[in-house]
Amino acid sequence: MIDNFLAGTQALFSDPFTIFIFICAVIGGMLFGAIPGVSMLTLAAIILPFTGALEPAQAIMLFAVIYCTGTYGGAITAILFNIPGSAENAPTAFDGYPMTQNGQAGKAVGSAVLCSAIGGVASALVMMAATEPIANWAISNIAAPEIFALVFFGLAVASSVGGNTIWKGWLSVILGVMIGTVGQDPIDGVNRYTFDFVDLAAGIAFVPVILGLFAVSEVFTQAEKKAVGTYNAPKFSLNFPKFAELWREKVAVLRSILIGFFCGILPGIGATLAAFMSYGEAVRWSKNKEEFGRGKLEGVISSETANNAATGAAMIPLLALGLPGGALTAIMVAAFEMHDLEPGPLVFWNSPDLIWVVFAAMFWANLSILFIGLLETKTILYLLKIPFQFLAPLILLLATVGAYLTRGLVLDVLVMFTAGIVGFLLRRSGYSMAGLVLGVILGKVGEGNYARGMQMMHFEPFSVSTGYFGRLAPIDLAFTTIYLPIGLLLLIGGLITLAASVWAALRARPSQMS
Amino acid sequence: MTFRTKTTAGIATFAATLMLSGAAFAAQCETADMAAMDKPGGFPERALTMIVPYGPGGGSGQVARAMAEAVTAVTKVNINRDHKPGGSGTVGMTAYMATPADGYNVLEHIDDASSAHALDSSKPNPAEDLIPLVTSQVTFSQVYIRTNETRFTDWKSFVAWVKAQGGKASIANVSKEGSMERVSMKFITDATGMEIQQISFDKGAPRYGALLGGQVDALFEQPGDVRKFLDAKKFKPILTIFSERPAAFPDTPTHVEEGMSFAPLVRFRGFYVHAKAPADRVKWLQNAFQRAYCHDSYVAYNKSKFMDAIPSYRDTAGSKELITKTIGQYREVYKAMGLKVK
Repeated sequence: MIDNFLAGTQALFSDPFTIFIFICAVIGGMLFGAIPGVSMLTLAAIILPFTGALEPAQAIMLFAVIYCTGTYGGAITAILFNIPGSAENAPTAFDGYPMTQNGQAGKAVGSAVLCSAIGGVASALVMMAATEPIANWAISNIAAPEIFALVFFGLAVASSVGGNTIWKGWLSVILGVMIGTVGQDPIDGVNRYTFDFVDLAAGIAFVPVILGLFAVSEVFTQAEKKAVGTYNAPKFSLNFPKFAELWREKVAVLRSILIGFFCGILPGIGATLAAFMSYGEAVRWSKNKEEFGRGKLEGVISSETANNAATGAAMIPLLALGLPGGALTAIMVAAFEMHDLEPGPLVFWNSPDLIWVVFAAMFWANLSILFIGLLETKTILYLLKIPFQFLAPLILLLATVGAYLTRGLVLDVLVMFTAGIVGFLLRRSGYSMAGLVLGVILGKVGEGNYARGMQMMHFEPFSVSTGYFGRLAPIDLAFTTIYLPIGLLLLIGGLITLAASVWAALRARPSQMS
Repeated sequence: MTFRTKTTAGIATFAATLMLSGAAFAAQCETADMAAMDKPGGFPERALTMIVPYGPGGGSGQVARAMAEAVTAVTKVNINRDHKPGGSGTVGMTAYMATPADGYNVLEHIDDASSAHALDSSKPNPAEDLIPLVTSQVTFSQVYIRTNETRFTDWKSFVAWVKAQGGKASIANVSKEGSMERVSMKFITDATGMEIQQISFDKGAPRYGALLGGQVDALFEQPGDVRKFLDAKKFKPILTIFSERPAAFPDTPTHVEEGMSFAPLVRFRGFYVHAKAPADRVKWLQNAFQRAYCHDSYVAYNKSKFMDAIPSYRDTAGSKELITKTIGQYREVYKAMGLKVK
């Protein structure tokens, strides 16, 4: 592994143009993550057509680095403007934005820088050690039935993310899944919900949905506050966190790394679930639960450590199974395809050099967050001084460009603004924007794999011979090999999660009603 | 005449058509005239736009890139590729039909456009509503198994094994309704009497991974798409769905040799312009694209994709003939399958 890592590092830093791309990606990811209204997704969508001219390793590395630094960069807008750069930064805003309003923006951003770097580097190291063995194992043991079970498990957990109640969380997820069914079905190619509008046959892309739900709806929300006179400009401060303050949170950091890596492996969920679960665990284990949501440093640390820890882990389903863990890894699939490559188990066999350049780049990119991020932070904080009336039109313009560039369809711009209006209305009603986005992403992945899985199991999913019970995967332990029905276990896990959340919701109902 | 005898009669005609077109290609490449590339009225005075109805990474995206680069190399005119994927090519086709018929907009498309018109005549007919500039890829399909497979080793033993499984055997495929793959598999299962579960994958990687990892028993695909697996001896073809053995696969029997008499359906990709585009501009584009087919870079690309295994080239007339024949062929098949042909 070390030899491969050193070879990847050498390939990365031996060519001046590759170094230039790496630096541009580090800075670009941070900036686009930090600028309100655009995100690493926007940057990735904009540059995707231009990366066809690059070498495959340069192009894939470019997106991997943007993924690392952009995941951190999204924390900036979450903390400063309550606009998460993407869904995985949403819980960062829960305490980060109140910290900004309390005049502690510098402390919040500084903590995000450090914890993102720690989480990302730890994740990159585990990724380098684990991805290839998982890929070799997965090709024989993970197929459509197991992937559908993973998606089901992910959706069951996602329902508890972001909504005021479990019911609203579920409704958000279901709405997302329904949106994901628009267009041709993945098996027979039959049009659904297209209303004879040809462009809808291509389905609803999730990038415009994300831009609408998060950026556009936040502009609408802030504009409303401005109109009714309740808008408060965030306070400017440059106070960074002290070492002792961060050291006190070491347990939270370690816990968040573990949660982040575990969640990152789940395809289609990755960093978003990681950030929410880590935040939730921070609240659960805290002695001062009431301080969360009011500007508690541990809230920012838990979210940002976990979402960057998920970046490396999310590369495992992408590279090992060809399954994108989120929006940006989905764009990476297109980058692979542009270079006649397809992520999945075969990429290790076909392009090992490329993979190790990407691994090395992700490691160094996460380290770069620490150094460049701290330098960049002071500049970024001055964004707080831009008046809203100038910022809002810029956000809308950039989001519109980003939506159109996704596929070159005006439909995507319409989808973005529709999502913005829907998000504006749903937010105030306590529905989950993250759940909705996850529904769109996971719904599409889940549907195709459900249908293929049923075909593979000959439409007898619980048959002892060919169904979930009979699909046993070998797990090598030090002393023996055990065989587990992975798909079945994931289905059971999803059902237990679902039952537990419904039970908790039913128990909490009297207090919610009151 | 029954459907079966019609298709049997079609095989000889189909093979003859392919061989004749090969001769036409040789003549075309030798007689390409540089003077014919003079720009009519200054056309084109800016870059062309090529609409590609599929993603940049698939077979269409790759051939579009290779052809655009070859045209640019021949004419020094740039081509911007605009990918509009989705809807099995209908989104891109619709977008193209809405562009001005000024010669600056060209379209890449595959045989799906012909089969779509065969099923629904309100959709554009590539031979009439468009002018084919060149058909640059024509290929056949094969059935593949893993090289290290022990349960069966060739087509005969595969069919026997599948029949013994009572419908539990599986083959990875792209089986959208009315697709070339689904129709061809229907021909095969009808002819052999075997019952096999078709697993439909819309992406290449999981389709190939499914065979490699033993999740399916066989794979239906075109050779260019799995060349890396063939070169690495991970997959091996056990059946060629074509009228005669291509030189590149001398040891693989054809479906005809294995007692199946249907006319093979081929996959073809080509480039088009609006039927109402100015005639002098169309002529320039025809020259440009047909000469680009002969450019070294495009020849090398086609070779890397096994597109030299059977004659791939069709000029405008040859393309129209191929498209018209294909539409008729699909229409017969759809009717025989009980699909509603509009």
